[in-house]
Amino acid sequence: MVDALQEAHRILVDRGVFVDARPDSRVSARVRAKSARGTVIGTIGTQRLTKMDDTLSDRAVRDVLRRKLFHSRRRGRLWHAIPFEDIDELNDYLTDHLRFSRRVKWRAPAARRTPPLFVERAVRFEILEKRSDERFTREERHRQP
Amino acid sequence: MNATASPGRVVPGGLGYLRPPAEIELGAYGLNLRGLRVADIGAGEGRLALGAARDAASVLAVDPDRGALARGRAAARRQGVSNVKFSEGAAQSLRLPDASFDVVIFSWTL
Repeated sequence: MVDALQEAHRILVDRGVFVDARPDSRVSARVRAKSARGTVIGTIGTQRLTKMDDTLSDRAVRDVLRRKLFHSRRRGRLWHAIPFEDIDELNDYLTDHLRFSRRVKWRAPAARRTPPLFVERAVRFEILEKRSDERFTREERHRQP
Repeated sequence: MNATASPGRVVPGGLGYLRPPAEIELGAYGLNLRGLRVADIGAGEGRLALGAARDAASVLAVDPDRGALARGRAAARRQGVSNVKFSEGAAQSLRLPDASFDVVIFSWTL
């Protein structure tokens, strides 16, 4: 992951912008009933191994920030809604999903799980800027094996 | 940053089956891509690359999946987008010159 970030740094012009956007496994996805803004009736967590991968990605970003290859301009989160006709369709989706846990943690009784359902998941992003100070990049090049 | 830390700016992510629509995701970034050279690394079928091409001077979509790149090229032809190139490659070893892009996007890549 650090290799990929170094490559991004290399191909960017000075003060060029790097965008890192990914699903945010630090917060559970929400299952909403009836509409994308309906009542939250359940949540879906993230698989343990995926969370570990995400932690490694976070660490890689922190590493390039610490080494002053980039500085953070801003960050944010957007909530992306995925529609499902009913619970069966949602369960099928979760069965072979690579990130989400296999099951919904329901918060509402079955009678209130009114379709259509919407899974709203967090996507976080951070906008980084390549540092233009040539001194830092020279030092970094010397540190490369 | 931990789970309770402020996420910064929070914006609606739109409705879509697999990923947020390109215009919403790019809008959330708040970048003006007009006239810029953009690299979308891990571009898949070019969802974001094709969206960025509306404003950018040029977009390079890089992905290791040849099938996805072929679908991206087909989508670009269908949409009449001529300023996007699709290229096979991996984020860890990009065969691209130094300092050749103004914006590099890793969306669902790290």
